Amino acid sequence: MTDQTGAALADRVAQLAASESRQQAVEPVTIVIFGGAGDLAHRKLLPALYNLHLDGLLPPRIAIVGVGRNPMTDEAYREFAKDGVAHFSRRPIEEQAWSTFASSLFFAAASIDDDATLASLGSRLDIIERERGLISNRIYYLAIPPTLFATTVHQLDRARFVARERRASDRRGPFARLIVEKPIGRDLESARAINDALAAVFDESQIFRIDHYLGKETVQNILVLRFANSILEPLFNVRHVDHVQITVAEEEGVGTRAGYYEQAGALRDMVQNHILQLLCMIATEPPRSLDPDVVRDERLEVLLSLRPIEGEAVDRCVVRGQYTAGFSLGRPVPGYREEPRVDPNSNTETFVALQVFIDNWRWSGVPFFLRTGKRLPKRATEISIHLKSVPPILFNANPSGRLDPNVLSIRVQPDEGFALGINSKVPGPEVHVYPVKMDFHYGSTFGGSSPEAYERLLLDVMVGDATLFMRRDQVEAAWRWVMPILNRWAEKGGAPSPYPAGEWGPREADRLIEATGRRWRQL
Amino acid sequence: MAAAVVEQVWRESAPEAVEDDLAAVWRGIAARGPVARAVMSNLIVFRLHDGSDRARDRAAQFEAQLGAVMARHPSRVIVIEQVRGACELRTPVAAGVGVCVFGPPAARYAMEKIVIRSACAEASLPSIVRRFARGDVPTSIWWTEDASEMEPLPALVSMGRQLVYDSRLWSDVGKGVRAICAVADEETDLSDLNWRRLAPVRRAVVHACSAAPSLTMSSIRIDHVPGDRALAWLLAGWLGAHAGAEAAGDRWPSINQSPENEGERLVVSIGSARVTLAMNDHRVHVTASDAPPFVVAVPRDEQPDAIAAELRTLARDAALRATMDFLATRSGL
Repeated sequence: MTDQTGAALADRVAQLAASESRQQAVEPVTIVIFGGAGDLAHRKLLPALYNLHLDGLLPPRIAIVGVGRNPMTDEAYREFAKDGVAHFSRRPIEEQAWSTFASSLFFAAASIDDDATLASLGSRLDIIERERGLISNRIYYLAIPPTLFATTVHQLDRARFVARERRASDRRGPFARLIVEKPIGRDLESARAINDALAAVFDESQIFRIDHYLGKETVQNILVLRFANSILEPLFNVRHVDHVQITVAEEEGVGTRAGYYEQAGALRDMVQNHILQLLCMIATEPPRSLDPDVVRDERLEVLLSLRPIEGEAVDRCVVRGQYTAGFSLGRPVPGYREEPRVDPNSNTETFVALQVFIDNWRWSGVPFFLRTGKRLPKRATEISIHLKSVPPILFNANPSGRLDPNVLSIRVQPDEGFALGINSKVPGPEVHVYPVKMDFHYGSTFGGSSPEAYERLLLDVMVGDATLFMRRDQVEAAWRWVMPILNRWAEKGGAPSPYPAGEWGPREADRLIEATGRRWRQL
Repeated sequence: MAAAVVEQVWRESAPEAVEDDLAAVWRGIAARGPVARAVMSNLIVFRLHDGSDRARDRAAQFEAQLGAVMARHPSRVIVIEQVRGACELRTPVAAGVGVCVFGPPAARYAMEKIVIRSACAEASLPSIVRRFARGDVPTSIWWTEDASEMEPLPALVSMGRQLVYDSRLWSDVGKGVRAICAVADEETDLSDLNWRRLAPVRRAVVHACSAAPSLTMSSIRIDHVPGDRALAWLLAGWLGAHAGAEAAGDRWPSINQSPENEGERLVVSIGSARVTLAMNDHRVHVTASDAPPFVVAVPRDEQPDAIAAELRTLARDAALRATMDFLATRSGL
């Protein structure tokens, strides 16, 4: 082959690659999962990777290496993975596809504080990559407790597993990327410490902090809904929006997570990350492009515009609750303090409701009501934008039968989709008005099941797209906003307001919103 | 909207798996072509369940009626079948989910039904309803039982914006009135199907007696056929509460059950106005001594039409509420 022919062929290959969707253009990669034999890998990561494989979205050359303290053969790990897929995958196992996928699964025993086992892990990875024609592109997934993040990345550095990059787009040679799970710290100080430790080894462009809520279809659809529909975006401001509610409701109690939850509580577990991220998505200004950092800059702006809640304002604007014995789907269930491994005198909040304001031009004066809790009546996450009422004349003139204001609701889970409530005349000779809905469901519109959040997010890491991941400044801005609330609670002490399991939180939460003439939306 | 069901998918489920199973049913239906979900409200239907032959017959009739109501007023239907005589059970015992599809292939729409068989204590029922009801649409409670025998459960009624019932089912009108008034607070819209049946009579009374300054209860006689006792008392209560009737001394109209007379179900004689109203299934015929006779038509409402119409009407019926309060606070009923 002449040089000219070779150059032409290379151009042709480049054109072909460019014609593929970005997901299908993923480079060969080795995914190393620390905590590979743990619950997260079993329930989420391995099923997500399997589904990506079914969709043909994994690169043809890939190795997935679980790392854990206790030895396990590759075969045993494949059985472990198969069990996870069988129980938690959105699609069943197809034997032929499984055998191909399973052949890319490996397990290596290593202890992060043991240089010798790390060295043998390095050798194992080298062998696997050489055998499978991989080029040492690596993704390190830390599916381990946050307390081990700093040690782990330090050891990765010591073992020379990481080539530092200035930016992913500038790199030459193999890439190394790091995925970390929330929580990033339990306060601003510890979050900074973790981020410093990560930054000592990885450039920010190599770090992918997962908030799986951002990987859900509906959350991704928020930007499309707002900025691809000329009918909606003009409504998203103080002139038309009366208030916004964000609810993240969990039906389950604390379950087996009592050890973690006792130290965290609802504010740290849900508000500091998931709910604030949802708030950022719904309140963001239009980004000038879809470049990951441009989108994340705009989300950061929302966080920086949040009005601080400090001192006595915490008592007025934040309600914390704790569930007591009640019912879940008709069954009697114990209160939080009666749960296994929970302090019988615990003051950890299992519910929190907040009234917050975004002090910028678009949202000035519009209250955002946020709530989350455990042992609520159902598992549901929803953002609802409540538009202002029509004037009390014409069809809204009857004081005993005011019209429902229009509400745009975005269902994040379950049953992802969105709906717009509109008042309509009931057919007939008299004018009766009834609130009807324009309702969109992913499930019944597109058929099939939506990809799990982890599928999208893992793929994004392989592609190197950080749009849906939290940047260091976002994480720390969120903690900076949350800290005065935590500090106030720590100063004042006292028990959270009780609420029976199976109800929508304590009475104080109702009073928080009713004091403004509004009501929590029922989910 | 009252189209025929073109496809019905049903599967047994467990209470914990209801939403997942429903999602699977929807996906299966969507895989055969686009389908729109039609949900105007949550319709919580309460009915008793036992294994008797009579109950099975009633269940078949009920299913047919419920399907017709769904066709007319698309709702997320949640049927709570309370197992009679199994109070020792503390948890829901069974569930089923289904989707009914209507419309031509190019414009299919569908709605969903959840059935929970339960013997849970009343206090636990709200946790079942909260779990399955959609919060973004109005919630109506349809009490299908005789409220004078099986009083509506306050915990359940409080979950809805509207309480739909039929006082024609009441074996004891006084107990039925008191049960409804006890359970429905000021926020609850009452919707009595029998009250709807009374509408032509009320309109006829308004036309016939508009010139009369007041009515005295003792001058009114109401004759009704068996089965329409509640209708007669509703009329008496409405007259007492609204028509300027003299109710002092807890006096009531004379209310008598009589055999059907040439098809007339309800005959009202108002002495002072010398007015007689006779209602059959088609019209109310009004005669007066000092005016020409006239007729008010009785709408041809099938039962599902009536229920659907009530479900679509969310405005509070102040007249019915005042009538019920009047009846509940007067002795002698």
